[in-house]
Amino acid sequence: MIELKNIEKYYSSKGIKHYVLRHVTTTIKQGEFVSIMGPSGAGKSTLLNILGMLEEPTYGTYEFLGEDVTTLKERKRIELYRNHIGFVFQAYHLIDEMTVYENIEAPLLYKKVAGAERASRIADLLDRFNIVAKKDLFPNQLSGGQQQLVGIARALAAQPSIILADEPTGNLQSAQAEQIMELFKKLNVEEGITIVQVTHSEKNAQYGSRILNIADGVVKDDITVASV
Amino acid sequence: MFKLNLKIALRNLWKNKGYTFINVIGLSIGMASCILIFLFIRYQLSFDEGFKNENRIYRMVTDWKYDAFDDYSNGVSIPAVNVVKNEIVGLEKTAAIFRRWSIIRVRDEAGKDLIKNDETIYYSEPDFFEIFGAKWLFGNSYEALSQPNTAALSETSAKKYFGNVRNAMGKSITMGNKTLLKVTGVFKDMPKNSSFPLNVVVSYQTFPDKADDCWDCVSSGNELYVLLKDGLKAEDITASLAQFNKNNYADRKVAGNQRIEIEALRAIHFSEHYDNFSYQNIGKTQLYGLAIIALFLIVTACINFINLSTAQAINRAKEVGVRKVMGGMRKQLVMQFLSETFIVTLVAMLIACVLAELCIPQFQNLFKGQLELGLFQHPVIFIFMILLVLFVGFLAGFYPSMIMSGFNPALAIKNKVALNNGGLSLRKILVVVQFAISIILIISTIVVMRQMEFVQQKPLGFNSSEVMMVALPNDSLNRLKHENFKQRLLSIPGVKMVSFCQNPPLSPNINSSDFTFNGIKNKDFEVRRMQADEDYYALFDLKLIAGKLFAKGDKGKGYVVNETFIKKVHINNPQDAIGKVINSNGENIPIIGVIKDFNDLSLKEKISGLTITTGKNNYWRAAIKLDAKQVFVADKKVEELWNRMFPSHIYSSTFVNEDINGQYETEKIMGVLFKVFAGVIIFISFIGLFGLISFVATQRTKEMAIRKVLGASTFELVKMLNGSFLMMVFIANIIAWPIAYLFVNGWLNGFAYRMELSVWPFILAMCITMIITMLTVSIRSYKAAVTNAVDALKYE
Repeated sequence: MIELKNIEKYYSSKGIKHYVLRHVTTTIKQGEFVSIMGPSGAGKSTLLNILGMLEEPTYGTYEFLGEDVTTLKERKRIELYRNHIGFVFQAYHLIDEMTVYENIEAPLLYKKVAGAERASRIADLLDRFNIVAKKDLFPNQLSGGQQQLVGIARALAAQPSIILADEPTGNLQSAQAEQIMELFKKLNVEEGITIVQVTHSEKNAQYGSRILNIADGVVKDDITVASV
Repeated sequence: MFKLNLKIALRNLWKNKGYTFINVIGLSIGMASCILIFLFIRYQLSFDEGFKNENRIYRMVTDWKYDAFDDYSNGVSIPAVNVVKNEIVGLEKTAAIFRRWSIIRVRDEAGKDLIKNDETIYYSEPDFFEIFGAKWLFGNSYEALSQPNTAALSETSAKKYFGNVRNAMGKSITMGNKTLLKVTGVFKDMPKNSSFPLNVVVSYQTFPDKADDCWDCVSSGNELYVLLKDGLKAEDITASLAQFNKNNYADRKVAGNQRIEIEALRAIHFSEHYDNFSYQNIGKTQLYGLAIIALFLIVTACINFINLSTAQAINRAKEVGVRKVMGGMRKQLVMQFLSETFIVTLVAMLIACVLAELCIPQFQNLFKGQLELGLFQHPVIFIFMILLVLFVGFLAGFYPSMIMSGFNPALAIKNKVALNNGGLSLRKILVVVQFAISIILIISTIVVMRQMEFVQQKPLGFNSSEVMMVALPNDSLNRLKHENFKQRLLSIPGVKMVSFCQNPPLSPNINSSDFTFNGIKNKDFEVRRMQADEDYYALFDLKLIAGKLFAKGDKGKGYVVNETFIKKVHINNPQDAIGKVINSNGENIPIIGVIKDFNDLSLKEKISGLTITTGKNNYWRAAIKLDAKQVFVADKKVEELWNRMFPSHIYSSTFVNEDINGQYETEKIMGVLFKVFAGVIIFISFIGLFGLISFVATQRTKEMAIRKVLGASTFELVKMLNGSFLMMVFIANIIAWPIAYLFVNGWLNGFAYRMELSVWPFILAMCITMIITMLTVSIRSYKAAVTNAVDALKYE
């Protein structure tokens, strides 16, 4: 599904290059659950941003579903966002002025899903995540865990093939974090959705099937997690 | 999608109630002013619109080219009326319309006056109504106006004189004392926005002087209209017109290169040289000036909007980022932000309509009810409003929406978007522009007000306080009563002096003529001729500097001239002028005295060279000097006496000082408009500034808290926040000064007597803006500076 070859990223200031990523080469297959780990400043988020096409690598090629996406036009990239990629953020990033229902609906509107279909999909998601009663509330009326549930529901609404999650449980208490990770695992196993998450927590990484350890911009280890 | 956007937009606007309020208020006041100005301009442009043949109707006017100056009149000489018909090729119809004033009476069978009214009457040929396609309620153009001693009334005047329109037909009205006119037609009122305020129209056949053959006598009351043949344009008759001018003026040796020109109907209202019957003409430059002010207003209001929106953009960065990774196209985001702007603009427009509607009566008052404005007057007003909403929506919304939709999602999501805070940001430039506009208007307002004071306080060279002018009936019968009238006036307690004359010393009613001086024809200027009796000089306190004045009973003729006159004929010593001979009316008359100069025209004009002489048969006003303490009592007594002496006439009186001030009516209106619009722009600018400082203060709360923890005092914090704003306003002053200077200097140059343009209006404008800025900004920054540091820091 994803092929990275020799990805490099640096920022140059005053002629000195500050490398963030060096020679990253890896493949992520359909249905994998990958956790990217490493100390602060190692380049985890940059790698995830490159995967999500939010940043462009300085060198190297990136193929998504067999297509070179390093130099993609905005229109094409947005097509991918609409149909294949769902984002989950550490700080949830729900739109404050929209209700839970509207937040989940937004990507479907961009995808131009018809009204009836939209309603049934949202109803389904609300039901699955047990937040039917909360659908008319605004984000600031919810707890962190509930907000992240909405965030994930929103990411799932467009039925993506991959979810990119940047420290999805970073702002949550451990009980809520566990709930979220269980959910990810379930989505991965039952629905075959590819998941790539950045995390600090060894424990969270264990939910996945594979761990990429990054330090100073270089992939140090690529471990397969023994299934429990 | 649209519905959702709408909903989100409303929630967003509600969330930022303060800024929304500022935006809506600023925009709606700006738009209301714009609507008013548009209504006014549209009304002016609609003058003489909609007549059937409006593109083929022209007015004949007269031009002179003397060696030293040009002169213009909207009238033509009487013999031209008949000759134009035959000599100029390409005219379908021609019609003379002459304005005169007369008393109109409606009498009962016993001959007693039922109604007596001072009217402006028009002698008109029937074709006038044909040319303009006027509507007749009764009769028609030819039936009504072909015969002598017939008259047509407008609907309004028919009702005024006879109760209703039907009654008026066939009845008689009396013009003056004895001319009986039969009402033979009633026409629909001329529209208010026309140059023809016709009420009582008398057939041209009734006009007593229609056989006059003086080619160089041109009165501004005698207008002549022509209708070109279908398909012809003004150019098509120029050759014929030139031939006419040669035959009738050049070949007749009429003075001053007199000639006839033609002027299109739709140009009459905007004419700078030629007057018209409605006295309402307005220069196109004045309309452009107003349009520029309207543009200023709208730009100022839009700048507020742009500034507040871009300032708030950071708050919405996250939303933009999220929407983008969910698959929102930039185009869609732009649409979303634009629709928010349009909602605000639309709301502002609704409020603006209400405000405009509330202001229309005041606006009309300012123009003494000569205007007829309304929001629903014409469909084009509605179109203008729609265009205004679109224009403002785009102007105010486009830039912010481009900025916001252009955020990089990776940075936006992390709230790391940086709008360039240092350097020369667009926001700062806009604030400077906005304030420069305000300052230009402040300076202009101060200068206009000061010049008006100057004009009112400048010594005019004569004393007219408590002098009233009353009409003096001047027909041969009443002339016999004049001496008696004077004696009885003087016996009224409170009346100090009485003089019979034509006009007060300062008056726009000019009678001027070319002349010979000591037998040599003067080509440099025309002499203004005034006629007054011997008491005139003492009454108006005119100072003699050489020779003598008239004394009662003087039989011989003589001129009293002013200093300007002798200077213009190159005599340095006033004494030398005495005894020189002037001929301006066919008689050689010597100069007997020289008086000190006084302003005989408004201060926009220089003093004319003039002569004053006695003219027993030509006095139509009496100047009456009253005792300051008894003005009101004496005023009443004078009126009573007048009505007893001249029962068949109508009393009218004015105070000279009021008349003099009346000459600056346009300037006064301009002063008021400047004051109002400058106020509006200042208000808009400052609420915008308040919005901006509020935002900056919120943005920098954390920084301020940290500085406070580090030991900064409240004063230092306020200073820090205010600094950049004061700097911007200062720069705006520097930029505005030269522009304002050019502007006000140009305006002042329109006055022959203008105040010295000092640096003070400029300094004053700077002080005003700086002080208001200080206050506006300090209110908010003080509040920010005294917030508890802990509250600001405990987040994150």
